[in-house]
Amino acid sequence: MKKFSRYAPYIILLIMFIGHTVLYAQPQRFPRPEFEGGYTFPTHQFLYQRGPLWEYMDVAVLVIALLATAWMVIKKRSRQGLVWISVFSLAYFGFYRQGCICAIGSVQNLSLALFNETYAIPVSALLFFSIPLIAALLFGRVFCAGVCPLGAIQELTGFRQLRIPRQVEAVLSAIPFVYLGLAVLFAATESQFIICRYDPFVGFFRIDAPYTMVIFGSLLLIVGIFVNRPYCRYLCPYGVLQNIFSRFSVKHMTITPAECRNCRLCESGCPYDAILQSDPDAETERPARSWKESAIYLSVIPVIAIGLAVLLYNISPSLAVVNDNVKLAREIRLEKNEGIKAVSKNAVAFYESGKTEDELFAEEQKITGRFRKGAPWVGLFLGLSLGIGLFRLTARSVRKDYEPDRGRCYSCAKCMKFCPVKINN
Amino acid sequence: MKFSEKEIRIFNGISLVAGIFTVVIAITMVLSLVQLKTIDPLANPAIQIVKEQFDRDVNNKDLAEQVRAMDLMARKAYFSSRWQVETGSYLLLAGALVFVVLQRLVAGSEKPAKSFRPDKPDIDADRVKNRRFLLISAGAVTLLAVISSFVLRSELPSPGSSEAKSDSAGKKVATSGINMPDEVNYPFFRGEGSSGISAGEGFPVEWDGQEGRNIKWKIANPKPGQSSPVIWGDKLFITGAGDGEIAVYCIDKNTGELLWKGSGKDFPEASSEEPESDAEAGMAVPTPALNEDYVFAMFGNGNLVCYDHDGKFQWGKHLGVPQSSYGYSASLVIYEKLLLVQYDSQDKLSLSGFDLKSGEMKWETPRPGRPVNSSPVLASFNGVPQLIVNGNPGVSAYDPVNGKELWTLPGVSGDVAASAAVNSSLVYVVADYFKLVALKPGKTGSAAWEDNSFTADVSSPVANDNFLFMTTGNGDAVCYNAQTGDTLWTTYFDNPFYASPVICDNKLWMLDRSGIMYIAEAEGKLKIISKSPVGEHTDASPAFSEGKIYIRGKQNLYCISSK
Repeated sequence: MKKFSRYAPYIILLIMFIGHTVLYAQPQRFPRPEFEGGYTFPTHQFLYQRGPLWEYMDVAVLVIALLATAWMVIKKRSRQGLVWISVFSLAYFGFYRQGCICAIGSVQNLSLALFNETYAIPVSALLFFSIPLIAALLFGRVFCAGVCPLGAIQELTGFRQLRIPRQVEAVLSAIPFVYLGLAVLFAATESQFIICRYDPFVGFFRIDAPYTMVIFGSLLLIVGIFVNRPYCRYLCPYGVLQNIFSRFSVKHMTITPAECRNCRLCESGCPYDAILQSDPDAETERPARSWKESAIYLSVIPVIAIGLAVLLYNISPSLAVVNDNVKLAREIRLEKNEGIKAVSKNAVAFYESGKTEDELFAEEQKITGRFRKGAPWVGLFLGLSLGIGLFRLTARSVRKDYEPDRGRCYSCAKCMKFCPVKINN
Repeated sequence: MKFSEKEIRIFNGISLVAGIFTVVIAITMVLSLVQLKTIDPLANPAIQIVKEQFDRDVNNKDLAEQVRAMDLMARKAYFSSRWQVETGSYLLLAGALVFVVLQRLVAGSEKPAKSFRPDKPDIDADRVKNRRFLLISAGAVTLLAVISSFVLRSELPSPGSSEAKSDSAGKKVATSGINMPDEVNYPFFRGEGSSGISAGEGFPVEWDGQEGRNIKWKIANPKPGQSSPVIWGDKLFITGAGDGEIAVYCIDKNTGELLWKGSGKDFPEASSEEPESDAEAGMAVPTPALNEDYVFAMFGNGNLVCYDHDGKFQWGKHLGVPQSSYGYSASLVIYEKLLLVQYDSQDKLSLSGFDLKSGEMKWETPRPGRPVNSSPVLASFNGVPQLIVNGNPGVSAYDPVNGKELWTLPGVSGDVAASAAVNSSLVYVVADYFKLVALKPGKTGSAAWEDNSFTADVSSPVANDNFLFMTTGNGDAVCYNAQTGDTLWTTYFDNPFYASPVICDNKLWMLDRSGIMYIAEAEGKLKIISKSPVGEHTDASPAFSEGKIYIRGKQNLYCISSK
């Protein structure tokens, strides 16, 4: 019976997924009729917006789920409880709410609102952005642990652990920073919401995603069986913010409930390499020398930050191509200058719209100018992140216990199971 | 639930099959997607051939039926492929799900990572390595930044086209792209680009030259001339000719003090000839051109001089004495590093580009047709900068960098004196007693509309994207819908206009020959705001800078300001 209860969440999940697929696949069996009598289809083809009450209901569920996760991780130290919360989150925020609204995508809403006076961010989007970060400040990455549907689907399917080399892990871990920077830049310039566009799992939740994303999501899920949480670790832009906020968390989970025996068992239980080793015997350097060296390495941080700011500034015109108007303007200009005919759908629509080419080129210049303004700030952020991250690795910190790396730990509680220290409540 | 070895082997086997199935489906779907993206079902060569046959024999019902059948078949094939991809996505999901569930069963419970690190890493050694890595990263980033600064510099948008500039130009008026009016500088005849559109606000609308009301200063013109004032920073420049002197004069725009005078004929190859011209014209009709370093002035005898802003002579050229019935009158413009000169004489018509610094002629393009008295205008269409010349009988556009002709369209003929007006999509040219024509620019361009109810004589029209305004030699003022040519309003004033109207501060400024400035709203409905006289005859066009208006009368130069 005990064994069965371990599998129960997965069985429920399977039933839920099949039911959901069958339910949403129904319209596919009956293609839309093609009327010939002048009937026009209603323009509203997408999900209807929920009423404000329901949006606040979602916020309430989010808060409750976060508190429950924190309680389960910090107080109860229950991995099984976390699995149940993950199933609930996947069911509610994933299949029921179809991945929208999500904290990850809300980064873009906020960017758009900050840099465009004409866009008013919905309160619910603001809350979905900020509440998980507040939770991270209080309890660590409890949002990633069991509330985020993207994290939950990976958590529930990642049951074999293949550790990848540290160097590879370090390089891949830099991708989310770049992804976040670009997502903010693209949203602020009204170019694209790339986080939503390239969400690998929303296709499962809605059964209507582009096929490429279904393929990507499926492959990511399969990879995730062995390399656990690949999206969270190597792509998730919101994870970057969670990482930063969690470092200052008031009450973070601990691996051991009491004194650490330095047995290293937890180290092998963490698939994310997010455990900081103890080094109680380490000799501290002479303070004067240590300070001097630290100052030298610290001074490298602004060099990296300014260097990346300059680099991003220089490549900003190339980045601006993600904006449809810029892309179109360059296509039209190519036609004018090189005689290469503009054949894209956007070009055809443009010629039919009656908009003048000068208007388009002016728009292109405006958007490129905004990229030019924003890109150095993204470079500065990336440079500071990289510089501070590298600087931390050069500094000595004496630890007596094995501790979770507060930034990278997903609070998944897997390590707890491997800790031989137990206390009886 | 505990599974036997045999069951686990079966699960592993099924899981493997499901995994392979998923990968195969994924690959197939990717290929199908590529096919769907690249193939246009209706561009099938077989259909095209039958369609072409049908086009030659449109009454052939069998062929018509065949076209329909093939078209339907192609569409069906396309939508079948789409259906297959859609179905494939469900198969893919199902395969992935089976694989995941069976792997979960096989795994039984979460196992520790296989690659348990055998030895505890040497933290000190790691730290030394990381320090080196930090320095290498900083070096690499710096190197990349430097390399990209050189390699990608050409791709960066010019500061002039950035949003920063257009934003700060909240007070600026958008015209045809390259003509960005400036609140301070008024560098050419009719302002930036010779467009007739000026930036700035807070200009006085009421003054009286006789009573001195709102007249900040007034000085006697150093010498007579018809050229208009131009401004750079705090300096105003005019040209004048008389009593054997031809010169450019630099005046403090805030006080009216004459700062220096630069002769138009004190250089070796200069001409002292005074060609015959209309009595009203004289030798100082062309308006000088300015940039931040130099002032360039052209005179009726073909002398072209360059001075720096401190009055130091830079270079002089004699382009040949122009033979013109009314006198040489084309004003100068500057584009990037070139001074552009439209030369009109009975024996030669050309357009030339001179290096600003050295005066070296970089190119010269002969122009066809007959001499005109208009001035060139800078414009930009479809992102291509061009110099528009209202010639006779064609309107031509030239590349201002190399002088190559971009296009020529039939325009106006007769006495062509007015310069072209431009907005973002059209070019407007007019000749008195002939017609006003709006042209769609380009090699394949054509007339968008034309009208001959009103025609300007010397005064050049001015246009924005909504309206075209024109004042005539009879004293008429007209407003057209710039796109359609509909006449929106007309009015008649007592005196003729020679000075060109200017759009500035959402107002239309029309200066007649008696010295009265009529100020109206630059809108499609006529609303006269005021009329203000300077009290003497005026032919030159006014200049606008920092809330002040500069008007050159026959005798005096006025600075009009309410501050």
